[in-house]
Amino acid sequence: MNPGFRCAFEAVSARPKRRSLARLATPARAALVGACLLLAAVPAAAQVNFSGEWSGRYHEDQPDRVPGEEPGDFSGIPLNDAARLFGDSYDVGRHSVLEEQCAPYTLPYMFFGPNQFRIWQQVNPDTQELVAIEMHLGTYQQHRTIWLDGRPHPPEYAPHTFMGFSTGEWNGDILTITTTHIKQGYFRRSGVPASDRTTVVEHWMRHGPVLSQVTIATDPVYLTEPYIRSQEFVIMERGNTNWLYNCEYAMEVPRDKNTVPHYLPGKNPWAGEFESRHAMPKEGVRGGAESLLPEWKPGAAAARPNPAKNGGFSPSVLPQPLPAGEVRAVKVQGNVYMIVGAGGNIAAQVGDDGVLVVDTGAAGQSDKVLAAIKGIANGKEIRWIVNTGPAAEHIGNNEQVSKAGRTVNGNQAAIVAHENANERMIQRGVPDAQRPYNTYFEGSRDFPFNGEPVVLYHDESSVTDADTLVFFRRSDVIATGDVFRTDSFPVIDVTIGGSIDGTIASLNRLLDLTVPSKMLQEGGTYVIPGHGRISDEHEVVWYRDMLVIIRDRIKDMAARKMTLAQVQAAKPALDYEGRYGAETGPWTTAMFVEAVYKSVTAPAK
Amino acid sequence: MMRILSIIVLTATLAGVVSAQRGGPPGPPLTPRQAAPIDLTGNWVAVVTEDWRWRMVTPPKGDVSSIPVNGEGRKATMAWDAAADAAGGNECRAFGVGGIMRQPGRLRISWQDTANLKLEFDAGTQTRTLVFDRTAQPGAEKTWQGFSRAEWEGPGIGRGPEAPPGPGAGPAGPPVPGGGGQGLRGGPPPRGAASIQRGGSLKVVTTNFKSGYLRKNGVPYSEQAVITEYFHRLPAHPNGDEWLNVVTIVEDPRYLAQPFYTSTNFRREADATKFAPSACKTDPPLPVKTK
Repeated sequence: MNPGFRCAFEAVSARPKRRSLARLATPARAALVGACLLLAAVPAAAQVNFSGEWSGRYHEDQPDRVPGEEPGDFSGIPLNDAARLFGDSYDVGRHSVLEEQCAPYTLPYMFFGPNQFRIWQQVNPDTQELVAIEMHLGTYQQHRTIWLDGRPHPPEYAPHTFMGFSTGEWNGDILTITTTHIKQGYFRRSGVPASDRTTVVEHWMRHGPVLSQVTIATDPVYLTEPYIRSQEFVIMERGNTNWLYNCEYAMEVPRDKNTVPHYLPGKNPWAGEFESRHAMPKEGVRGGAESLLPEWKPGAAAARPNPAKNGGFSPSVLPQPLPAGEVRAVKVQGNVYMIVGAGGNIAAQVGDDGVLVVDTGAAGQSDKVLAAIKGIANGKEIRWIVNTGPAAEHIGNNEQVSKAGRTVNGNQAAIVAHENANERMIQRGVPDAQRPYNTYFEGSRDFPFNGEPVVLYHDESSVTDADTLVFFRRSDVIATGDVFRTDSFPVIDVTIGGSIDGTIASLNRLLDLTVPSKMLQEGGTYVIPGHGRISDEHEVVWYRDMLVIIRDRIKDMAARKMTLAQVQAAKPALDYEGRYGAETGPWTTAMFVEAVYKSVTAPAK
Repeated sequence: MMRILSIIVLTATLAGVVSAQRGGPPGPPLTPRQAAPIDLTGNWVAVVTEDWRWRMVTPPKGDVSSIPVNGEGRKATMAWDAAADAAGGNECRAFGVGGIMRQPGRLRISWQDTANLKLEFDAGTQTRTLVFDRTAQPGAEKTWQGFSRAEWEGPGIGRGPEAPPGPGAGPAGPPVPGGGGQGLRGGPPPRGAASIQRGGSLKVVTTNFKSGYLRKNGVPYSEQAVITEYFHRLPAHPNGDEWLNVVTIVEDPRYLAQPFYTSTNFRREADATKFAPSACKTDPPLPVKTK
């Protein structure tokens, strides 16, 4: 019954149980009935319903979107020089890397490739309020939830996914969706990169059987301004059966499985082919914001960068860092937590046996670190501390955390590390009470704790010669220390045994240990980096690929007798600087390039 | 009892009146301009991020990629002769209603009067009139831009031509316990209900046009085609950009095997200083090279 009519009916037929109505004088009841009827005449606000099964129409850029792009086509994209270098270096053979074969498209591209999807509504059963819109995408079997209940976006340390985290709101018949926390991917499959700092705004409009979707991607790493595209989908009256995506990776090309196909700068054999084949001006094929406007002509000056174009988002929809000074424990999976905010990331494994802590953060934060541990420890003692390396931001609270804990025989919690870490700490003058006194010398060490195997791995050389990966085998979580981080280029210290080849080898080992869920490169083994957000194999493989590509470039330059200054001037890390680089601070891009240069030019041992 | 029934009947009648006049003040019906739920007027520039290689340059003859042409359409494409078009006074074939939105150019939208919306394109110096009068009929002669019948759609008709709010503007009240919303039964209002009741879109159906080209290189549409468009004024982007999105659906039983869907995006410009009317001119394709 219409709410207004029901209201009127109840006003007229008020029984004693509805005393408040029954007590009203007759004229007042009549007036109430009238008011109810007025309400009955006002339609309830109702959103457009997008539910159904939809299939794409590929009447724009079809050769790009269905058969697949041709190398070197950057036309129509407001990209920057970093993206161009990435794209020029891109070898489509990278899709054959084992860890990348089953990687889905990320959201910025998802709706442009061949696709069909099902949409349904998630409604609160008690209030009937529309809580979320759900999507299942047949391509790569992805699931997506668009929250409509006003929740904020997760903090920046939360894992990223291929579909990201989406919230929506209505603007008339337009559903506007904002998505963050998207993994690294591509704006175009031929190697135009989309960084994990991309924010996507979508607008959905429905006209009968046609769903129109506008996608506006903002990527401060690879775009100079938002990249707008739009496409149409048509409802499938009879449905379809292509809803599963069974991908199993296989070694398609006989070669070292850790090979990363790419082209050195200026060596891409396909450069220039696209414009020749399709009768296009070369300058247009190179893209850029200036080329998107009607007045563009070959030879036009590049659009001036305008950082404001890439901004403006409300903090509530952007990944936010922890407030300064806050230290927080976050569940990763199984028995393992990540403690953020104390300098380097800390991992904590909790169970009946007690607490095992991996690293202790930067000095001066012990109270907060211990409070965070106490919050997840269920009253259990800290039994073990493992140091992943000698870096100050990982060992700063060793003494306090150790003293707060207790081994089963009554001593303070034991600090475990590779012997080289202890050596490096001694060399740096780290006080005895902060150093590990339970060291191992071999390539790996394992022991059971809280009902699961804990395995420590050491490589002869990594970012130093003293690093340890900590693998919680049942929880399926790996704490990596500074071998892997999501906030900067690796801090390779060649003065204490670090090397680019060693770092890459450690990342390859990490890739051997990580197993994604469902074979679609997401979830499964989670990785706690030395710094930055919770990750999985996808982030590790992109990081490894980056290091291989930069190393190969610098190695090639060094082989051509280029000096360090010349190498620096050639900007061999340009395509990753916007994401991992820095011009100032403790670890600049120049310092990283220098470390790699020294590493590749060092005499063989 | 009779008195109560009289009040009920009177109030119900009033409710019907209110319902009938919803969205506008009492008095004469709203003009299309007054009823506009969105404001499309202003200066807009096409931002060519899609189909760049077919829109910004003239593609090679015979390139029908992306367009669902049938056999006859393909044949007609291969017969494209730019020189013959020029000689026959048909230079504007690529600037007709089926192709004009895809031309790189600027678009100026204004109210010609209270019932007709004017679209001026600098590419080819073309003008379209969107007619809201349902009794109006096309003229006897077919034109490049044809006859476009327009109607507003959406919940905000008659609520005033407001630009929709930007992201984050929708009110987000707490859920109402017990299934009652605003004192009513039947469930709470959706979040941001005020935003939901605003806005809308413009639907335009165009017929009575001369045949032309969907693409600069002579991919054809016929006079038998029907072109349906939806104009959307998108919520302001967080960086301040304002966008107009136009969905175009071409149904042509002669040259297309299925409806042809495209959507074109225009960014608002502050003024018309870059609006530069030009003649209908199609550059010849660049030569295809084999590397």
